[in-house]
Amino acid sequence: MGFFAGLNDEKYDRQYTDRELTRRILDFFRTQVKRLVYSSITIIILAFIGAALPVVVSRMMDLLKERPTLQAIALVGVTLMAVGVGLWGLNWLRRSLIVRAVGDVVLDLRTRAFRAAAEHDLSFYDQFSSGRIVSRITSDTNDFGQLVVIVTDVISQMMQALILGVVLFRTEWHLALLLMAFLPFIFGVAAGFRALARRVTKRGMKAMADVNAAIKETISGISIAKNFRQEESIFKSFDESNQQSYQVNVRRGFVLALVFPTLNALSGIFVGVLIYAGGMSAKQGLVSIGAWYLFIMSLDQFFFPVLNLTAFWAQIQGGLSAAERVFALIDADPNVLQTEKLDVPRLKGEINFEKFDFSYSDKEPILTNFNLVIQPGETLALVGHTGAGKSSIAKLIARFYEFQKGNLRIDGRDIRTFDLGQYRRQLGIVSQVPFLFSGTVIENIRYAAPGVPEEEMLKLAKKIGDGEWLETLPDGLHTEVGERGNRLSMGQRQLVALMRVLVQNPAIFILDEATASIDPFTEWQIQQALNLILKNTTSILIAHRLSTVKAADRIVVMQKGAIIEQGSHDGLLAQGGHYAELYNTYFRHQSLSYIEQVKEMVGK
Amino acid sequence: MSSISLPAEFTLNRKNTYNHTSAVKWIVSHARPYGWIMVMLVAGAVGNAALAAYVPVLTGNAFNAMVKIPPDTSVLIPLAIIIGISQIIRGVLQLGRNFGAELLAQYLERDIRDELYLSLLGKSMTFHNLQPVGDTMARATNDVREVNFMFNPGVNLVVGSFMFIVMPFFAAPRYHPSLLITPAIFTIFYFIALVRYLKTLSPITDEVRATFGDMNMHLSESLDGVEVMKGAAQEGAEVDRFVGNARRVREAFVRQGDLEGRYISMLLLGAAYAGGLVHALLLFRAGTIDLGAVIAYFGLLRLLEFPTFASTWAYSQISSGMSSARRILELINSETQLDQNASGLTSTMRGEVEFRGVSFAYHGSEPVVDNISFKIKQGQTVAIVSQTGAGKTSLAKLINRTYDVTAGQVLIDGVDAREWNLAALRSQISIIEQDIFLFSRSLSNNISFGKPDATKDEIIAASVASQAHEFIQEFDQQYDTVAGERGVTLSGGQRQRIALARAFLTDPRILVLDDSTSAIDSATEDKIQRAISNAARGRTTFIITHRLSQIRWADMIIVLRKGRIAAIGTHDDLMKTSEAYSRIFRE
Repeated sequence: MGFFAGLNDEKYDRQYTDRELTRRILDFFRTQVKRLVYSSITIIILAFIGAALPVVVSRMMDLLKERPTLQAIALVGVTLMAVGVGLWGLNWLRRSLIVRAVGDVVLDLRTRAFRAAAEHDLSFYDQFSSGRIVSRITSDTNDFGQLVVIVTDVISQMMQALILGVVLFRTEWHLALLLMAFLPFIFGVAAGFRALARRVTKRGMKAMADVNAAIKETISGISIAKNFRQEESIFKSFDESNQQSYQVNVRRGFVLALVFPTLNALSGIFVGVLIYAGGMSAKQGLVSIGAWYLFIMSLDQFFFPVLNLTAFWAQIQGGLSAAERVFALIDADPNVLQTEKLDVPRLKGEINFEKFDFSYSDKEPILTNFNLVIQPGETLALVGHTGAGKSSIAKLIARFYEFQKGNLRIDGRDIRTFDLGQYRRQLGIVSQVPFLFSGTVIENIRYAAPGVPEEEMLKLAKKIGDGEWLETLPDGLHTEVGERGNRLSMGQRQLVALMRVLVQNPAIFILDEATASIDPFTEWQIQQALNLILKNTTSILIAHRLSTVKAADRIVVMQKGAIIEQGSHDGLLAQGGHYAELYNTYFRHQSLSYIEQVKEMVGK
Repeated sequence: MSSISLPAEFTLNRKNTYNHTSAVKWIVSHARPYGWIMVMLVAGAVGNAALAAYVPVLTGNAFNAMVKIPPDTSVLIPLAIIIGISQIIRGVLQLGRNFGAELLAQYLERDIRDELYLSLLGKSMTFHNLQPVGDTMARATNDVREVNFMFNPGVNLVVGSFMFIVMPFFAAPRYHPSLLITPAIFTIFYFIALVRYLKTLSPITDEVRATFGDMNMHLSESLDGVEVMKGAAQEGAEVDRFVGNARRVREAFVRQGDLEGRYISMLLLGAAYAGGLVHALLLFRAGTIDLGAVIAYFGLLRLLEFPTFASTWAYSQISSGMSSARRILELINSETQLDQNASGLTSTMRGEVEFRGVSFAYHGSEPVVDNISFKIKQGQTVAIVSQTGAGKTSLAKLINRTYDVTAGQVLIDGVDAREWNLAALRSQISIIEQDIFLFSRSLSNNISFGKPDATKDEIIAASVASQAHEFIQEFDQQYDTVAGERGVTLSGGQRQRIALARAFLTDPRILVLDDSTSAIDSATEDKIQRAISNAARGRTTFIITHRLSQIRWADMIIVLRKGRIAAIGTHDDLMKTSEAYSRIFRE
C-alpha cells in the first residue's frame, strides 16, 4: 500500500548535488536501458488500456437508448475481454521486465559496494560500524532498486489519470472541472492523515524499541530469576512492558484504521454531487447518459493516484538517500596508498621503522620520530600500558593504516612499493579475539593458504600437544565452528588461528595475545603451537602473558609512542625501571610464586 | 491478579484457559474472549460491503429516472443525499471493521505474549538451560507480532474482501436471478486460483527470505572479520563468495516477481466484467431488465476489484501468521518438567556431596559425563579442571538437578538428589554461571535479587565480602546505579563480584562457581582471589576454574578428560602422579 510506505524514513543530509546523484543513478541503469525502454512502452500501452475500460463502458451505455444489436453486444464483450487480457498480460510483462532490471541493478550495486568495502582500509572500519555497512550493502541497495518500482508505478497511474482527464475535458468541461475540484480535497485529507500517521508511527517506533528491549531483558533473565525463585518480580517487569506495548499500539492502530473510512466517505459524498450535477447536465443535453456515467466511474480512477501521490515524495526521498548512503560507501577515499605494485619475493623478515610519524585520522599523534629495527628471525615482545602504541606498530607492519612521515622498510624495501596481496600472504596475523568464519575447522585453517592437503594439516595438528586438542572437537578437523566461531571456546579458536598461521608458513608473524581466560591445558598447547611458529618467523608479539614475554629474544617497553627500555626479561626486571612496574601491574599474578603466596594473602 | 507459587514452578491465576491441541484451536480460543470485537468486525465488514453495493443500486435508479421521457430530475437531490449519507455511515462501519481487527490483533499480541511468558516461567531450569535465548526471544517478539499481523491486515482484509464477493449474490437477483451466474463462476475460479497461487508462492517467498538471510549473515561475518580477510589477502575470494550469495538472492527475487506477475486473478476480473456485462446487455436487449439495472449490475461487478487485489497478500499474511502461531505453541507445549518431588526431604543441608558412578548424556547423544565417582566432605573446596568440552559444566549442574543423571546417583548429605524436595534442594545450592546476567535495575536491587527484603547494611556487607563495594562506590549513583542493557556496562570481573554478593546474601550451603573471568592486572586478580576465598569459606564449593592459584589450593582437584576423571586428588598428589597436571605448573 503506497499510502503507508516510508512513514518512518528519516531526513538525510545530502552529500551529493541533485545533478551528481541523478548522473550516478542513471549510470547504474545504463545496462538496463533495453528493459526500461520496453517496460516504458508497456506502461504507456497499459495506461491507454486502463483508461479505455470506463470509456468503452460509457460509450456502450449510450447504445442503450435503443435496442442494441447483437453485433454491438458482441463487440463490447470482445473489447472488454481484450482489455482484461491486455491488462493482465502486459502487467505480467511489465513486472517481469522490471523485476529483472531491479534485480540486476541491485546485484550490480551490491557487488560494487561490497568490493569497495573489502578494499577499504581499516581506518574506514574504525569510523563505521560493520552493522551500518551491512545495512548499506543489503537494505539500502534494495531501497534504491525500489526507486524504479515506485517511479514506474506513479508514472503509469499518472498517465492513466491524464489520459482520462483529457477524455473528460473533451466530453464536457464543466463537469470535468467539478471533478478536478474534488482532487485537492482528497489530496489534502490524505496528506493530513499522512502527517498524523507519521507522527504516531514515530512515537510508536520509539515506544516499541523500549518495549522490545524490556521483553528481551525479561526473557534473558528468566533462568536467573528461577535460580533465585523471583519469578513474580520478573513477571511484574514483563507485564508492565507488555501492557505498555499494547497501549502504544492501539493508539497508533486507531489513527491508521481511520484513513480509508474517511477517504471512502469523502468519495461517497463526491459521487452524490456527481449524480446530481451530472443528472442536471444530462437533462440540459450537455452530456449524454453514457458521459454522465463516465464521470461517476472516473472518480475512482483518480482516487488512488492522488492518494499514492501523498506518499510519493517521501518514498523518493527514501530511495535517494539510500542511494546516497551506498554511493558514499563506494566513494570513500582510500587512505592506504601504494606508490608502486612490485612483486614481493620470499621475505627474510627484517623490519625497519625510520623517523616514523603516525596518527589515526586527525587525532593526536601515536608515534613520533619512532625508530625500531627488528632483525630477521627475531622474536620481539612489545609491552606497555594501553594506548602506548603497541598494536599500532603491528597494524602498520600489516599496512592496515597509512603513516604520515618517515619510512617503513621490509627487507630494506619501502613498504609502499609492495603488491599488498603478495606481501600480506607472507604475514601471519592472530588478533586478540581470533576471528573464525562459519564453516569447518579445516576450512578456517586453510583460509590463508587454500589447497594445502588435509594430511599435512593433520600432521601439523598432531605436533601440538600430541593433537590432544583435536579430541575436544566433536568432529575433529571437520567440526563446524558456528557463526564467528561461537561454537568453539576462546582457547580452541586461538589454536585454530595459530594453526592457520602454521599452515600458511609466513615470514613475519604478528600476534596480539588474548587476554581471555583459557584453561591451563589448552594454554599449554597454545604455547606449543606458538613455539613452532616463533622458530621460523620474525615475530612481533603484543604480550599479555608472562610466558610469552619470557620467551622473547628482546622486550621493547613502550610508553606514549616511544621506546623507553629494551632488553631481556631478567635484565629489565633487575633494572627496576618501567618494565619492573609493568611487571607488577600485569604479570606478577601469572608467576608461580604468586600462586604459592595466594593462600597467605587471602588469609589476611 | 492473585498468585499461587508452586514449588520450583510458577503460575498465576488467569481467567482464560486456552486450547493447546492445535494452532488453529489455540488461536480461536484466544480470540473467543473477544467475541464482541469479532461481532463488530464482521458487522462492520458486512455493513461496509452492503453500503458499497448500495451506491451502484442508487446510481442505477438515478439513471432510470433520467431516461424517462421527460426526465424526472426531482429524484436527483434525494438520491445524491442518500448516497452521501450512506457513504458516511459506511465510513463509520468500515472504521468498526478496521479498528475492530486492530484491537483484536493487539489484544491477542498482549495475551499470547503473556501466556508464553508465564509458560516460560513455569518451565524447568533444564528447559531454560537447553533452550537458546535468541530463539525464545524471536518467538516472543517477531512471531507474536506475526500473529498480530495475521489479524490486521490479514483477517481484516480477508473478511472485508470476502463480503465484497458476497454482496453481488444478494443484490444481483433483484434485477434478474440469472445474473448470479457471473459472480458464481468468478467466485469458484477466484478461490481455485488463490489456492494454487498460495501453494506455489510460499516455497518461493521462503527461498527469498532464506537466501537474503544467508547473504546477510555471511556479509556481516566477512565485515567483522575484515582484519583476517585483509591480513590473509583473501579479498578476492570473499568478493566471489558474496557475489554468489547476492546472485542467489537476485534469482529468488526474480522468480517471486514472475510468479506474482503471472497471478491470474486480474484476468478473472476482466473476464467477469466482460461476461457479466454481455449477459446484462442480452437481458436488456430482450427487455427483461432496464438501463438502471445494467448500470447497477456493472457497478456490483466492480465490487470484485477489492477482493482481487486483496488476495495477492492478505491470505499469505494469514498463512505466515499461522506458522508463527505453530512455533509459539510448540514452545508453550514443550514439556521438560523435572519431578518436583514436593513430598521430598526439606531439611537444612550440611553440604556433603557424593557422586556414585554418575553418567549423563543429552537426549540420545554420547555421554558428556561418564561413570564419575568421588566424595566431598562438608565445607571443602573442589576445583574442576579440564579442556573445553570435557563436561565440567554439565557435571556441576547435576548437583542441583538442573539436569538429572542418566545413570548412577548424586547424593547430597547421603540422600539421593532426587529424594530431596526440589525447592529445598535448589534454594540451598547456588550456581554462578559463566555468563552473568544483570537486570536493568539498580545495583542494590541486582544484589538483593535473591533476598528482596535485605537491608541496606546487609547489601553493603555482602558487597564488601565479594569485593564489589569499592567499584560500586566509584559510580556517581553508587548502589542506585542502573546496570544491564539499559544501564552502565560492567566488566566480566565486576559482574562476577555482583553475582558473588548475591550469593553472600542468600547464603547457600553449596556454591557452584563457573569462573572464567580473567584479570587484566594483578591488583584486580588480588580482589578476585579474596572474593572467591570469602565465598568458599564455610560452605561446600565447586569451582570450575582456569586459575592455577584456585586449583593449587583446592581441597580436591578433579581433572576431567572426555567426560571421565583423568586424575583426582590434592595438588601434592597430582604433581607426583599426573604428567599432564604437573606440566601446567612448570614455567
